[in-house]
Amino acid sequence: MGKGWKAAALAAVIGLLGVGCSSNSTSTTSAGGGATATAPGTGGKAVGFIFVGPKDDYGYNQAAYEGSQDVAKAFPNLKVLTAENVPEDDNATRVMEGMINNGAKIIFATSYGHLDPAMKVAAAHPDVVVIQQGNIATGTIPANFGTYFGTVYEPVYLAGIAAGKATKSNKLGYVYAFPISQSIDNINAFQLGAKSVNPAAKTYVVNTSNWCDPGKQAEATNSLLSQGVDVITQHQDCTATVIKTAEAKGAFTVGYHADASALAPKGWLTGSQWKWGPLYVDLVRTTIDGKFTGSKFNANYRVGLKTGDNPFVQSPYGPSVTAETKADIEKARAIIAAKDGSPFKGPVMSQDGKVIFADGMVPSYAAIEDLKVFVDGVVGKLPT
Amino acid sequence: MILPVEVMVGAVRGGTSILYAALGETVSERAGVINLGTEGCMLVGALTGYAVTASTGNPWVGVLAGAVAGGLLALVHAILVLSRGANQLATGLVVLFLGLGLTSLFGAAYVGRSINAFKPVGIPGLSSIPGVGDVLFNHDPLTYLSYLAGPAVWWLLYRSRPGLILRAAGERQEVLAAYGHSPLRVRYLAVVAGGALAGIGGAQLSTAYANAWFENMTQGRGFIAVALVIFAAWHPIRAVWGAYLFGAALALSPALQARGYGFNQFALDAIPYVVTIGVLVFLGRRRAHAAPEGLRKVFEMSGT
Amino acid sequence: MNLDAARLARGAGRLALAYAAALVLFGAFVVTKGANPIQMYGDMWRSTVLNGTSIGQVLVKASPLILAGLAVAVPAKAGLVNVGGEGQVIMGAVAAGGVALALDGTLPGGVMVVVMMLAAATAGGLWAGLAAVLRLTVRVNEAITTLLLNYVAIDLLLYLIYQPWKDKFGSGQPATRALAVAARLPLIGTSKVHAGFVIAVVATAVIFALLRWTSWGFRLRVVGGNAEAARRAGLPVSALLISAMVVGGALAGLGGMVHFAGAEFKLRPGMTLNFGYIAFLAAWLARHDPLKVAGAAVLLALIAIGGDSLQLDSGLPAAAVNVLMGLVLVAVMGRGQTTRRSPKVAGIPAVAS
Repeated sequence: MGKGWKAAALAAVIGLLGVGCSSNSTSTTSAGGGATATAPGTGGKAVGFIFVGPKDDYGYNQAAYEGSQDVAKAFPNLKVLTAENVPEDDNATRVMEGMINNGAKIIFATSYGHLDPAMKVAAAHPDVVVIQQGNIATGTIPANFGTYFGTVYEPVYLAGIAAGKATKSNKLGYVYAFPISQSIDNINAFQLGAKSVNPAAKTYVVNTSNWCDPGKQAEATNSLLSQGVDVITQHQDCTATVIKTAEAKGAFTVGYHADASALAPKGWLTGSQWKWGPLYVDLVRTTIDGKFTGSKFNANYRVGLKTGDNPFVQSPYGPSVTAETKADIEKARAIIAAKDGSPFKGPVMSQDGKVIFADGMVPSYAAIEDLKVFVDGVVGKLPT
Repeated sequence: MILPVEVMVGAVRGGTSILYAALGETVSERAGVINLGTEGCMLVGALTGYAVTASTGNPWVGVLAGAVAGGLLALVHAILVLSRGANQLATGLVVLFLGLGLTSLFGAAYVGRSINAFKPVGIPGLSSIPGVGDVLFNHDPLTYLSYLAGPAVWWLLYRSRPGLILRAAGERQEVLAAYGHSPLRVRYLAVVAGGALAGIGGAQLSTAYANAWFENMTQGRGFIAVALVIFAAWHPIRAVWGAYLFGAALALSPALQARGYGFNQFALDAIPYVVTIGVLVFLGRRRAHAAPEGLRKVFEMSGT
Repeated sequence: MNLDAARLARGAGRLALAYAAALVLFGAFVVTKGANPIQMYGDMWRSTVLNGTSIGQVLVKASPLILAGLAVAVPAKAGLVNVGGEGQVIMGAVAAGGVALALDGTLPGGVMVVVMMLAAATAGGLWAGLAAVLRLTVRVNEAITTLLLNYVAIDLLLYLIYQPWKDKFGSGQPATRALAVAARLPLIGTSKVHAGFVIAVVATAVIFALLRWTSWGFRLRVVGGNAEAARRAGLPVSALLISAMVVGGALAGLGGMVHFAGAEFKLRPGMTLNFGYIAFLAAWLARHDPLKVAGAAVLLALIAIGGDSLQLDSGLPAAAVNVLMGLVLVAVMGRGQTTRRSPKVAGIPAVAS
């Protein structure tokens, strides 16, 4: 034991002597410098993807995983590394570092909460391109960093039209997890879409404070149904419970993340789902060609109906959707895709009657993602 | 539906899986063995129940398989504690990690699968009673079964000979041994039975309540069950009420939100634990005496 | 002496056998998942043990585990069971985060680190001390209260980061703003390991010395051995028990601060990732010997980091590492006791007599 004690003391002293040499901040640049000579993201052997949940969640993470497999097919010379269940904290930094060790020069951090670790890794490895899915980077964007996303609220707006047409009680239900900007936009767009065809429609919201707790989802759905809601939609990572619960009680369902029409053969209306492949492949090609810096991806890149390549697309229709509803949706799609179109085209009023976007105003993507309030017609409070 | 009724409906709906697990843990602890891995037993029960229902098409077979799976995982705990002399708090946690890992690995194939799940069946006549009908008589069969489970466990523990032997194993094993029973065998049975009940609770969650499998879907309900047994002072009927109390706490927030009120779930979530500690403080001595003697040895309650 | 050596050798043999059994079992298991176990272990060895970056990550991960493991070991010497590491780690992180939110703009970085350490140790110590006081006054068992207090701590953390402490300029997710750069634990030399590891190592050495060479340590062991005898011998049993628990809680609280100020910088939901429970296992693996606790914590951290390799090199699902950890723990705990008498807290006394 005496030996162990001495060793420990020695280690402690050595450690103390070494402390204080560098600060523990995101701006720390590490070894592996000199890469500035070549464009970031080039010369790699692998591409890394991290997912916050399991890659077979039948939802958000599975969609991103499928996109990664499209990359594998398009670039047979690149190894595609995937890591699932990566928490939105320092563990993400570690896993990304591990991918870089394995030869990755391009890393997709696919969860909203992966932004901080992604920026940390990008700062430490100027030769690696790190791109984050769904969040917004503020301030100056580094040469090897970017965020990307679809304008998720566009197909949600279209699905809102289907919901507004289908409801008999004029009460729609929305089960969401956290008040992040994507969810706020989706809820608002859903309500605006429904209201555009049914002025009496209102959207009731319940949050579960968890991306996937099937028990809480069941309870939230049941609570909404017992208030007379007859169309249910959601923003959760795992989606099956909400859909099956609504189907069992004879309510309509609007899907999210994936085509789950098989889970609700009677009540499925439509929904929104991911198709990441083309965007991922385009991004990887741009990067390995050495053209990432200064490209559209080296920014907060958002695509939608206007540019025609939204990675978030409308799901197939269910059996009960009428031709009239489909025509309404096509009409709305054309309006949104037009130059001065937007689901949030003014006038848009908030819950408490204030003007959010003035009459005729077509807000920018950034302005829409910055919304911190619910629009008029949403019932329920935003947790502050 | 008016708010109090809806919360009570939600309490029964959401409390049932916890109720089974808490009853199981009561049986186990009465025999002197605590299982912190109840969460793991629920998880294997949830997955096995879902998977077997998917392949057989019969949810009853699924629940049975879930019970067996929960029991088997608890058996690992029992072997480590009873035959290998390991610390039971620690091995419970080991069982938890094992259950979490195994179910995540083998469960991937069942995410997004549809099964022939249990459906709510209204009891003719009773289900149309205003209020009460919705609260008690419009549920899935496993919930009805749970109404019997509490009294059955109570009867077993306090009115039957096997129950007497089981409690003796947890209190005075020397006496039991003197009468020619093997305390070891009784404890094994109790731990495995406890795991099986937790497995049923997990299966209720996946095949009836949530109608889905998803990794780590129990989200701490097994730990709630362990805390509940203490709250209930190792009494099965009080454990039933405790489970419904937790269920109500989970149901209150969505019920309020669906009516347009903002609500912070976390203040609510902490209440049952604070209440439990409060109860222990105010009834300290009495509750402490309610603890099975065997458990007190684990917790080292003598001496001060 | 010879007998002792033989016993030690036998114990080490059993331990090696247990590890081997766990690794073989896991190897068989990954075969069913379509991976090659020999290559898998090779990759894991190469990218975890032989890789400087990974070793650094192991030490970062191990730092709070070591402190939380000591938090179990110290009370155990006095015969107390502290299952509340998780809650005490959280309370430490919350206290550190709270003082940081209030003061990190005004105090110099070094001072801030000390203030956070004091706040975290105090909060953890009080959280654990509460359980000790309840045991002594109303005789509520500390294993139960510490366990229950874990949930209260989690809910308190969630409440704070969802409402009063939430970053108003953040993205809507529940988290506090980031700790000021100056107040973060510095990195050791040119490595990626933060000074929290030094804190953990120093704490291990100090606890080892205190338990072994001070009268406090001696008295704790006497109380742990037989409290009634200790009381008759005139020892202040109550004060000793409270001190053991408070010191333990303070260590776990420090663990929370180290994780917050060294690696996370923000309070987030799930930030502790079961540290308290994993550390509890580390303490039991090591039978509460402080040096071995540190070793066990590093081992468990190594397995956790090795999980990255299971995913990246071998393409196994994330959950595989939980199975590996479970198997290792089952094997090590199930290997049976060496002839040394196990402490009284260890499980149920031999059943069939």
